[in-house]
Amino acid sequence: MSQDLIELLVKSLWETTYMVAASSLLATLFGIPLGVILVVTDKGHILENLPFNRVLGIIVNATRSTPFIILMVAIIPLTRIIAGTSIGTNAAIVPLTIAAAPFLARVVETAIKEVDFGVVEAAKAMGASPREIIAKVLLPEAMPSIVLGVTLTIISLIGYSAMAGTIGGGGLGDLAIRYGYQRFRADIMIITVLILIAQVQIVQSLGDYLAGRLNKK
Amino acid sequence: MIELTGIEKVYNDRSSSTHALKGVDLTVRQGEIYGIIGKSGAGKSTLIRCINMLEQPTKGTVIVDGNDLTTMPDNKLREIRKKIGMIFQHFNLLSTRTVAQNIAFPLELAGINKQEIEKRVSNLLDLVGLADKKDQYPAQLSGGQKQRVGIARALANQPKVLLCDEATSALDPQTTKSILELLKTINQKFALTIVLITHEMQVIKEICDKVAVIEDGVIIEQGTVIDVFTRPEAPTTRDFIRNIINHDLPDMFNKTTFLSEPTADSNLVVRLSFIGNSAEEPIISSMIRRFNIDASILYANIDHIQNTPFGTLLLELSGEQGAQQNALTYLNAQELGIEVIGYVTRFNRAVG
Ligand SMILES: Nc1ncnc2c1ncn2[C@@H]1O[C@H](COP(=O)(O)OP(=O)(O)OP(=O)(O)O)[C@@H](O)[C@H]1O
Ligand SMILES: [Mg+2]
Repeated sequence: MSQDLIELLVKSLWETTYMVAASSLLATLFGIPLGVILVVTDKGHILENLPFNRVLGIIVNATRSTPFIILMVAIIPLTRIIAGTSIGTNAAIVPLTIAAAPFLARVVETAIKEVDFGVVEAAKAMGASPREIIAKVLLPEAMPSIVLGVTLTIISLIGYSAMAGTIGGGGLGDLAIRYGYQRFRADIMIITVLILIAQVQIVQSLGDYLAGRLNKK
Repeated sequence: MIELTGIEKVYNDRSSSTHALKGVDLTVRQGEIYGIIGKSGAGKSTLIRCINMLEQPTKGTVIVDGNDLTTMPDNKLREIRKKIGMIFQHFNLLSTRTVAQNIAFPLELAGINKQEIEKRVSNLLDLVGLADKKDQYPAQLSGGQKQRVGIARALANQPKVLLCDEATSALDPQTTKSILELLKTINQKFALTIVLITHEMQVIKEICDKVAVIEDGVIIEQGTVIDVFTRPEAPTTRDFIRNIINHDLPDMFNKTTFLSEPTADSNLVVRLSFIGNSAEEPIISSMIRRFNIDASILYANIDHIQNTPFGTLLLELSGEQGAQQNALTYLNAQELGIEVIGYVTRFNRAVG
């Protein structure tokens, strides 16, 4: 394999890692609070606000049911506002985040709903405020599941990032399409796929390990 | 310490509404252990949850330690709640915290400093006998141990009131006993007011001073445990007591018809209950001597309700009608519970 190709591979690997890391971080930053809000504003919960909860639910669902490739194109104007450009690796982070945050929010919502409401009541009975209940009860108790949810989100993002080539985001997926598929370079195709598989494996193993460590049940 | 007045609670669901409490008045004094007993769905949990406003009553006032909780803003209510401990049927411990961290939780909420927390937690661990388990997680504990953690957690902030929602219902009889003993110890040691709800009369008998029987959202009977046990009025109360103290007539009376008025050759059947010291006085033998009647014992039982001896005696008195009435008058004058079951004819009784 030529020096050029190796450089290309390294560059693509970096792009993928960068896109996935940045969008995972942002998706976690937005997705976890969003998931918490979806739970606590639901019926009978500590900050019940049904109209707000329903509207938020609809927005989250709308985002989630839009295929990523369409979402990416549809929000180009928004991407331009946020990232200052609509093409390139940085620009790709915007749709990746917007796709992943609601996904993670739903996962977090499910994780928090699995926390026995009895412990919430116990905390309430001890005089905990809604903020304290979220920070000291809901999040810690749901943490093992949330970690698995974040893991799942990162893995989805690795997959989504392959499509980022469409808007010039680069990355391994883009490399595989351009060289492996369009230029019939089977070796590059195989290498990129192997790297992607390795990335997914590493993320999954780390996530499982961390969740296992946190789980005290 | 606790004063509930005219408490009503209506749950409104989309399709139906449930009137869970229909005007409950309840007064619990400082240092008392007050038991609330009722069948499933009677409204026990709803009632106890109204005391710390986990459930907002639809009507009525809740006063705890002089504070009206029903009109209180949220932030003040939270401060009051820190002084009302609560334990639960399913313990509700935080699974990601160790025993010591669980007990520390209310202290963290109260903003107490680390050293003080450590000191108090270690005292509490000793109190509930779990010092050797302090670094374990709830999943590694037995039910009884979990409830001990629950109790330690509830006591951490030195509350004035402890609410127990079916605290022993998930435990076996032996563990139940040890938990009840712990509650009693705490009650005596700290003069802590305890309200507990249960569906088991045994629990009431074991540790309560007062009891209220709730049925269908209404308190149908209340008073000191000894009074309610010896003179239960409502059928539901009798049902509850039946397993513990037999208020039924012996089987041999199954087919007997009791007359409400004496006839020429009838015998009088009475049930006597003796409380405390009167159980030791020879009332029966002096009655037999004074009125020249016979008394056959159909059923007898002696029990202890919190160290007070309590006996029931079912007697059939035979003799002249006049003598029977005099004996009845005599019994009525004594300090004991008396209930006239009725008159049976000798013939009828022989057949029955
Ligand atoms: N959150 C709720 N929403 C609607 N109805 C409720 C709710 N909680 C209780 N109820 C109803 O109120 C009534 C009293 O319930 P409660 O839980 O107080 O009974 P309980 O005496 O504690 O019974 P158990 O011994 O089974 O725990 C029941 O008819 C129940 O269905
Ligand atoms: Mg209940």
